Amino acid sequence: MDPKWFDAPEGRIASDHLKNCDHLRDLFEGYALGVLDAEERTVIEAHLATGCADCAKSVGEARWLVSQLAYMAADSMPSEMLKGRLMRKIRAEARDPQSAGRFKTSVPFWMWAGVAALFLVTLYLGWDAHRLQEQIRAANDQTAAQIQERTKSEERLAATEAQLANARKENAILTDPASARITLAAQNFSGPQLEVYWHAQYGMVLTGQRVPVPPGNRVLQLWLIPKAPGGKPIPSLTLRPDADGKFVLLVSHPPEVAAGTKALAITEEPLGGSSQPTAAPRWVGRVG
Amino acid sequence: MLLAALTPMDDRVVLPDTTLVQRLLQNDVSAFETLYDRHSRRVYALVLRILQQAGPAEEVVQDVFLQLWRNTAQYDVTRGPFVPWLVTLARNRALDTLRLKSERQRRLEDQTDELAPIVAAPQYEKELDEKRRAEQVRSLMGELNPQQKRAIELAYFEGLSHTEIAAALKEPLGTVKSWIRNGLMRLKEGLQATT
Repeated sequence: MDPKWFDAPEGRIASDHLKNCDHLRDLFEGYALGVLDAEERTVIEAHLATGCADCAKSVGEARWLVSQLAYMAADSMPSEMLKGRLMRKIRAEARDPQSAGRFKTSVPFWMWAGVAALFLVTLYLGWDAHRLQEQIRAANDQTAAQIQERTKSEERLAATEAQLANARKENAILTDPASARITLAAQNFSGPQLEVYWHAQYGMVLTGQRVPVPPGNRVLQLWLIPKAPGGKPIPSLTLRPDADGKFVLLVSHPPEVAAGTKALAITEEPLGGSSQPTAAPRWVGRVG
Repeated sequence: MLLAALTPMDDRVVLPDTTLVQRLLQNDVSAFETLYDRHSRRVYALVLRILQQAGPAEEVVQDVFLQLWRNTAQYDVTRGPFVPWLVTLARNRALDTLRLKSERQRRLEDQTDELAPIVAAPQYEKELDEKRRAEQVRSLMGELNPQQKRAIELAYFEGLSHTEIAAALKEPLGTVKSWIRNGLMRLKEGLQATT
């Protein structure tokens, strides 16, 4: 073998050398003895990794030859204490092989450690995913609650705006000189007078104070009596005074104009009102 | 007489190492003790020569035999003769200790083939008792020139490489390589010649 072969640049360690056993055989004893440098060892191990049975056998025989060098060591005997110590361990492990790791599987410790780590990571990821789901669910609930609250706020705002608009319209109707004032007198009982202000553009406002509250679920209903001969009373809104007998009723869009209306009447009707009067009028007032 | 010949259990029968190793797999403590009694002297002598101190040497011997007990499956007959395998295991472990290789690194190597190299008996191997084999090897090594023998000893007992031996002996690298290779070839031829 060319002794300079291994001094060659790395590029010269070509695959044909790895396959050519003759270039390596002289190195096997040195390999078994452990005196080769790293590059030489790498070349041999790369060749053995190709599965060359002849060279594997030759390396095995080289190891046997090198093992014979152990006989150069002078005879010497270990202490009896070593044997006693060792045999105590062996007997203890023989009684409980599993605890001593005997007959363990070929799975190395680091792999078990890896499996354990993987298990812990999986456990953590599962817990983390659950935690995230909980957070997402809580965020969704919070968002839904916020949307609901916002809807309610918008409804309240709309109601307030509507009340404000009604109040403005009521105020306009009550203060505008163009509004016609109509007085409704109680019929056959000593009740208070009611007042109606009717504006041609904004509608009418009906007000009352100390009005007897209808019993049970009954309400008061406003009727428009047309001027046309034989015309039937036209139903309008219903109302219920408060506990003090006060009420303000805005009729934004009366079913008839003042010019076509002969009188206004109020009857006591079931809750929800009626399409035609079911009782005699409690209050009546002439229009115009 | 016939009955005596057929008696299966005979205490005087010397079981081969391979049979004893097989019995370790059945948790046979007495088989282990026999193997220890049979080979601990040689293993200890080798390890003591490498480490030069009795305490650390006994620690390594204990480790080697515990390794044999705990990982018996690492050795099987296809890995070659038992004693050279055990000796190789002991030398590797002792050199690791000499180089202060960490316990963690050694445990890692326990999982690899490092501790269980294949040792193949050559055709010229002859079953000799320990004493005769030792005499034979010492005689053959004694025939080498002192520097050549020293180079091989530095390699085997101290784990030095070609380069380190050349530096230690202050000799050219090529000379050291030739000494070691030729010395081993002389040993091989000498062992072959005795068969």
